[in-house]
Amino acid sequence: MGMCRPAVLGLAFLLGALVSGPAPARAADAVVKVGALKLTSSAPLFIGVEKGFFKEYGIDAELVFFQAAAPIATALATGQIDVGATGITAALYNIVLGGEQMWLVADKGREWPGYPLTGIVVQKDLYDGGVRAIADLKGRRIGITTLGSTFHYSLGNILEKSGLKLEDVRVVPLQTMPAAIEALKGKQVDAILLPQPFPGTAEAQGFGKILFWVGDLHPWQTVAVFYSKKLAADRQRAVAFMKGYVKASRYYFDAVLVQKDGALVPGSHYDEVVQITAKYTQAKPEVIRLGFPFQDRNARLLVTDIERQMKWWTDKGFMKRTIPLKGIVDTSFVEEAAKAVPEK
Amino acid sequence: MRVLVDRLCKTYRDRSGHALVALDGIDLAVASEEFVAILGPSGCGKSTLLGIIAGLSAATSGQVLFEGERRPGQPLTATVFQEFALFPWRTVQGNVEFGLEELGLPPAERRERARRFIAMTGLEGFEGKYPHQLSGGMRQRVGIARALAVDPAVLLMDEPFSALDAQTRTLMMEELLGIWERARTSILYVTHNIHEAVYMADRVLVLSRRPGRVLDTVPVDLKRPRHEGQMGEADFLQATERIWGLIKSQAQAALVEGKD
Amino acid sequence: MPAERVAARDRSAFLRRDDHRALRLAALVGLLALWEALTRVGWIPALFLPSPLGVLRELGEMAASGQLLLHLAASLRRLLLGFAVGACAGITVGIVTGFFSRADAVGQPLIAATFPIPKIALLPLLILWLGIGEPSKVAVIALGVFFPMAINTYAGVREADPLLVRAALAFGAGRWSVIRKVILPSALPMIFAGLKLGAGTALLLLVAAEMIAADSGIGFLVLHAGNIMDTTKLMVGIVCLSLLGVLSHWALTRCERRAVPWRQTS
Repeated sequence: MGMCRPAVLGLAFLLGALVSGPAPARAADAVVKVGALKLTSSAPLFIGVEKGFFKEYGIDAELVFFQAAAPIATALATGQIDVGATGITAALYNIVLGGEQMWLVADKGREWPGYPLTGIVVQKDLYDGGVRAIADLKGRRIGITTLGSTFHYSLGNILEKSGLKLEDVRVVPLQTMPAAIEALKGKQVDAILLPQPFPGTAEAQGFGKILFWVGDLHPWQTVAVFYSKKLAADRQRAVAFMKGYVKASRYYFDAVLVQKDGALVPGSHYDEVVQITAKYTQAKPEVIRLGFPFQDRNARLLVTDIERQMKWWTDKGFMKRTIPLKGIVDTSFVEEAAKAVPEK
Repeated sequence: MRVLVDRLCKTYRDRSGHALVALDGIDLAVASEEFVAILGPSGCGKSTLLGIIAGLSAATSGQVLFEGERRPGQPLTATVFQEFALFPWRTVQGNVEFGLEELGLPPAERRERARRFIAMTGLEGFEGKYPHQLSGGMRQRVGIARALAVDPAVLLMDEPFSALDAQTRTLMMEELLGIWERARTSILYVTHNIHEAVYMADRVLVLSRRPGRVLDTVPVDLKRPRHEGQMGEADFLQATERIWGLIKSQAQAALVEGKD
Repeated sequence: MPAERVAARDRSAFLRRDDHRALRLAALVGLLALWEALTRVGWIPALFLPSPLGVLRELGEMAASGQLLLHLAASLRRLLLGFAVGACAGITVGIVTGFFSRADAVGQPLIAATFPIPKIALLPLLILWLGIGEPSKVAVIALGVFFPMAINTYAGVREADPLLVRAALAFGAGRWSVIRKVILPSALPMIFAGLKLGAGTALLLLVAAEMIAADSGIGFLVLHAGNIMDTTKLMVGIVCLSLLGVLSHWALTRCERRAVPWRQTS
C-alpha cells in the first residue's frame, strides 16, 4: 500500500501543472531527462549511460526514476521529462486524446515468443488440482495491478485467444505488484499476471506455478520509448539521443537476447550487462538472469500492434475513440538513427 | 400521611477531608394535609433537607419517617424544582405522564390522569407543546402538574417560584393555593422569601445558617382561603416581623462572608 | 454654553450581516461559467481540468447507460452498512462507558489508544483478516464511523443535566429508566454531531476501501478514471462524492430537526 498511487500522483501533477502553467523553458540544452522504472526492461538505457553511448552523440542523458508507469506519462505530458520509457497503457492514449501531444518513437520491450517477461501464475494447489489451460481460468479470480495496465491488456487478449472474455473471469485490481504476490500467497486470488522476477519467486517459494508466458500466447508491443512534444520538435537532439539508444539496443540484444537452436544463450558482454542492470535495479544478479525482455535489435516499433491496442481499449470503453497512427507514432527518428549508427 | 424528621444530620466531606456540617439535628413534623414552609438564609441546608426527605441523598445520622395511611402504589413524595427540571424532549403531556410511567400505569390511564392535572393547572390546549415553547410560569405549572399527577403522600417544593418574575410569582402563589385547596396533600415548601412563606403556609420553620438548625417555628393563624388583602393584616405583619427578627443577623453575616 | 439638539444615530450598521442569497448563487454560477469559458478558449487544457459541460455530458451518458446507478448502488451499500454497524457499536460503547464507571475505566484507555490510528493504515490488516471482498470494505468504514460516535456519545452522556437525572430519580426512575428516558435523549444532540462527523469519515474511507479489489463503486470510479487518465470521468466521480457528502449532511440535519426539536444546532 502506498507505493503505486497513479490516480493520486496523477491528480497531484494535474494540480501542479495547472498552478505552474505551461512547461518551464529548458536551461541546459544538452541535457535530456529520461524517465524510467528501475526494472530489467530499462537495461538498454542503463547500458547507454554506463557505456557512454549517449555522450558519443553529444547527449547528456539524465535518468529520472519513478515508482510507477503512470507518473512517467504525466511527467512527459507536462514537460518535466523529455523522454519516457515505460509500458503502453490506456492512460497514455487518453493523455494524447486529451490534447497533450506525445510521440511513440521506439521499441523498449515486447511480449515475445520464447522470451519470458510476464507470466500467468496460478496457485500451486489449483495447478495440482488440474488447472492447466487458460480455459480452466473461467470463473476464477485473477489478480492484476490496475485496470488499464499492460497486465490487464495481456490478460484480456490471452482470454480472447482461448475463446473467453474478460467478463468470464473476476478481475481483481490489487494496486501494486507486491500486493498481488501476497494475494496469491494468501489464496485471496486464484492466479496473477506479473513480470519477472515475481513468477520465478512464486514458483521457487512453492505457492505458485507458472502456467504460461504471455509472449508465447499473445506477442505485443508492450513497452516503448516516448518523446515529449518539445524534444520531438528539436530534430537534432531527438535524433542524437536515438542514435545512442539504437547503439545501446544492439549491445543489449547481442548480449542477452541471442538464441541458438531455439534456446537462449548468453551473448557477448552478457555478464557485464547483468552487472549494469543489477547496479541500477538493485536486484540480485540471479534474479536478473531469469529473463530479459525482448526488443527489436534496432529498437523498431511494431506499429500495427499500436493500432490494434487502441482498438481494443476503445472496444472496452477505456478510450473514447482511437487516435490516427500519424497522430501518435513517429518512426522517423529511429529509422534515421538505425541507418546512421554503424555496426561495429 | 405524616412526616417525622428525627434528629437529622448531614455532614459533607470535601477533598481534603474537611467536614462541612449542612444540617445539625433537625427535628420537624408535618401533619396530614398541612402546609409547612421551611425558610432560612442561603446555605442553611433547606434544599439538602428536602433532598433527603425526597430520597435523593442519604442522611449522615437521624431518620425520616412517613406515618399513616397510604393508598397502594401511592408514592411517598414528589418534588417540584426551582429550575423546573422539565424534560426538554417531552411535550407537556409527556412530562406530566413521566411519574405515572414510573408507577407502571397503563397508557390509557396515564393519559387520562395527566389530562386531569393539566386542566387543573390551567395548561389546557398546551399538551403538545415543548418546554422551550413555554414561558417560565407555564413551565412551573407543568412541574406542579407532574408532581401532583402521581398523587404523592407529601408534596415537596424547592423554591418553586424563585426563578419567576415578581408578577408571575404572585399569581402562581395564588394558583398553587387554589390547587392545594382541591388536592389537599401535605406540602413541604422551601423558600427564602418571608412574605411568600407567611402567605402560603400554616407554619413556618425558620432555619439558621450553616450548620442548619431549627431556630423557631412560627405559626400562621390567617384564615383560609388566603387572599392578597391579608398581607396588610396585623397577624400577617407580626409573623413576618418575628421571622425577620430571627434571621436578620444571620442574613447580615451571610452578606459579609460571601457565598458559602 | 449654547444649547444644542442632536439626533441619536445608529452606529452599529457595520456589524449587521446579510444573508446575501443572490450573491451566493451568482458566485457559484459565475465560477462555473468562468471555468467553462477558460476550457473553451484553451487556457486550461481539457486534460488537466475538464469543462463543466463536458463533465455534465459524461454524467448524462453514464446515467443513461446505467453505469452510474451501478457504481452508486455499490458504494451506497457499503456506506450504509458500514455506517449502521459503526454507529450502533459506537453509540452502545459510548453509553456504556459514559454511564458505568467500570466500563469507563476499561474502555477509555482502549479508545484513547486506538482512536489516533489512521483507519486507512489498518486496511491491509483488515484485508488479511477478512479477505479482499466486501467484509473488509464495510469493516474499515465501520471502524471510521465507530470512533466519532463512541467519543461523541460518551460526551453526550457525561453532559446529561444532573438536575434532570435528579428529577427522574425524584419520580421513581431506576437505573435503566434513567438511561432510556434521560441520558439517551440528552445525548441526542451530541450523537447527531457524531453522525455528521462519521458520515464525512465514511466517504473518505469508502474511496480507500474501493482501491483494493473492487470493480464498482464511486471510489473505484475515481481511482480507475485516474489510472487511465480519463479526467472527465474522474470529475464525474468527484462530483458524485461531493453530492453524496452534501446529501448525507442534509439528510442528517433533517433527521436531527425531527429528533431534537428542542435544540437548534447547525
